[in-house]
Amino acid sequence: MKNKFNYYSRLGLWSLFLTCAFPLHFWAIILIFNDSTWIAKRSNAWDSVGVASYGLVFAFIESLLLFFAVALLGFLVSTKWKEDRRIALMSTLVAVTALWAMTAQLYFFLNVTFPESWLLFFALVGHPLRFLYETAFILVLPTVAIPTWLILKFEKPLNFAATGIEKITLLTSLYLFFDFIGLIILVARNL
Amino acid sequence: MTNSFNRRDFLKLAALTSLSLSVPPLAKSAEQLAQPQDGKQNVLVIVFDALSAYHISLHGYDRETTPNLTRAAEKAVVYHNHFAAGSFTVPGTASLLTGVLPWKHRAFRFENGVVDSYVKKSIFHAFDSYYRIAYSHNPHVVRFLDQFSADLTKFTPYEQLLLTGNGIIQSLFKKDDDIANIAWSRTMVKDKGLSYSLFLSSLYKQYNENKIKAYKPFFPIGVPTIKGDDHFLLEDAIDWLNDEILKTPQPFFGYFHFMPPHDPYAPHRDFFGRFQNDGLQIAEKPNDIFAPFRPFELMITKRREYDEFILYLDREFGRLFDHLESSGLLENTWVVFTSDHGELFERGIQGHITPAFYQPLVRVPLLIFPPGGTTRTDIHTLTSAVDVLPTLLHITGQKAADWTEGVVMSPFAVSAPDPERNVYAFQSYHSQQNVVLKQATGMLVKGKYKLVYYSGYHDELGADGKLIQLFDIESDPEELNDLSNSEKGIVEKLLAELKAKYSEVNEPDL
Repeated sequence: MKNKFNYYSRLGLWSLFLTCAFPLHFWAIILIFNDSTWIAKRSNAWDSVGVASYGLVFAFIESLLLFFAVALLGFLVSTKWKEDRRIALMSTLVAVTALWAMTAQLYFFLNVTFPESWLLFFALVGHPLRFLYETAFILVLPTVAIPTWLILKFEKPLNFAATGIEKITLLTSLYLFFDFIGLIILVARNL
Repeated sequence: MTNSFNRRDFLKLAALTSLSLSVPPLAKSAEQLAQPQDGKQNVLVIVFDALSAYHISLHGYDRETTPNLTRAAEKAVVYHNHFAAGSFTVPGTASLLTGVLPWKHRAFRFENGVVDSYVKKSIFHAFDSYYRIAYSHNPHVVRFLDQFSADLTKFTPYEQLLLTGNGIIQSLFKKDDDIANIAWSRTMVKDKGLSYSLFLSSLYKQYNENKIKAYKPFFPIGVPTIKGDDHFLLEDAIDWLNDEILKTPQPFFGYFHFMPPHDPYAPHRDFFGRFQNDGLQIAEKPNDIFAPFRPFELMITKRREYDEFILYLDREFGRLFDHLESSGLLENTWVVFTSDHGELFERGIQGHITPAFYQPLVRVPLLIFPPGGTTRTDIHTLTSAVDVLPTLLHITGQKAADWTEGVVMSPFAVSAPDPERNVYAFQSYHSQQNVVLKQATGMLVKGKYKLVYYSGYHDELGADGKLIQLFDIESDPEELNDLSNSEKGIVEKLLAELKAKYSEVNEPDL
């Protein structure tokens, strides 16, 4: 069934929501596991479960916000493309942006340090911060532009994206179930 | 040395000699000071979190960290051997507020309040005929104030004195605020570049950065913060307090708990770098068995930042004190300056979350400014945080609290201090409230000896899980020589007393 603006179907919106929720939950769960030991040591295992529950509920809220933002941005995409193509495009862009956001944190998670020669080079360019932003822009731009072009232009990438969305649906549904359990735990802890 | 007989005699003799010299003037001033003049006098308790007496120049620290406190102390009773009841906020503050040791109020862990039986046994309850007002920067203390709120006339919300923060989380999840706050911080605040949130944390950071942008130039290491995103200015808090106490109906009992110099240390630019390269000689001590690895150089830097942060609170306390003086409130108000626990920068331990009980962690400042006081009195006998409640009740002419484990302190007490008095500190960081405690650190100070007894630490201490330390804190204030092997008689005696106390209090379902 299409809504009154005839822009998104319910199924399309659901797929878009799941694609938004997937990377946010995936990342939150990795860090929750990473934190569980020190939280349990700080107080106890139940508190560790508590932090995980709050973390999942917050991830759910962030998923909703991201979904609304992406759905709104989706209105900028012309209706000359069919809904499945538009959803595939927006979902892919969410995935790409999320991957970059993860990369930015992975730098700290994996304790990566730039080689000294790179740091020396950054210092020598005069405006190291501007240089880094420019480099980041040059790196990010093709990762956004190329998938956009491929999905809008060709069938194979569209099918590939659609298959991807379908595959993560099950996993994300499981995450949403965890969110629900988290919500119950959160309520129990606050009774 | 035939230890116990001679030592006891020596202590008694020493105490009597010093008392015989000091009793006439002290007795007179105590008598004068303990009498409420016309009607009831106000009480104002100011707590600075994690302020170690070891780092206070008034108590002999080589860095001049407290010029304003030293100036104000000329009108105060200064306690030089005052001990917190625990080594972090939860047990330390709960003892200050209830007048009993942690094994009775059972606030052991971060998320604990006091047990139900002590909700109506707080300092606020004891001052029930006063206008009672309280504020805390520290969320753990807010939990206690929440518990005692029926005995508070005015309880100022935590977020009122913050520049930024997650007050909404604190309000939404009142019953689980500790864990909710951790989860919120881990989600929204990028700690070492990591947060659960991929997108909102960056937006939230930007939002907070905008709010504190104007203050950044004043704080080279960062604007003072409570836990990541709860920024505050002590200047704001003191300005607020200066206004608030003028508006508060008298007689009042006020309890105000401010965060500096608690970690993260954020010295004001007026003090940042003050102690850089000042030549302070810091002895490198052997790593403690409970120490995580912390390089000595890092601890020197952290210690300097902490000391410079103390300068900031000292300046603000000076402003508060001057205001009390100029407004005339000092004439009819008992002002108490103290802390809930100390801080450590040695033996591989930085901070205060540790099972250890070294002096910088448990020896805290205590100054009591009598109304209209003009002279300084120095007290060197052992005192404890649990003594504050009975002493304040005594000096304001209130009914004594029958539940307290503390005593009325010199020079206000009618009788001479007991030289054989036991002063305890206790923590059981991982224990549930209403069970027999299996893992704990207990400290007993008696005369010049300090015994620390670790039990149940199987991970660190092996199958036995026990460790005993004994220090002579008079001749070895740096606690470099553990006498537990050479003074077995004293260890036996003190340990028996500590264990007797354990068996008295360590009952399930207390």
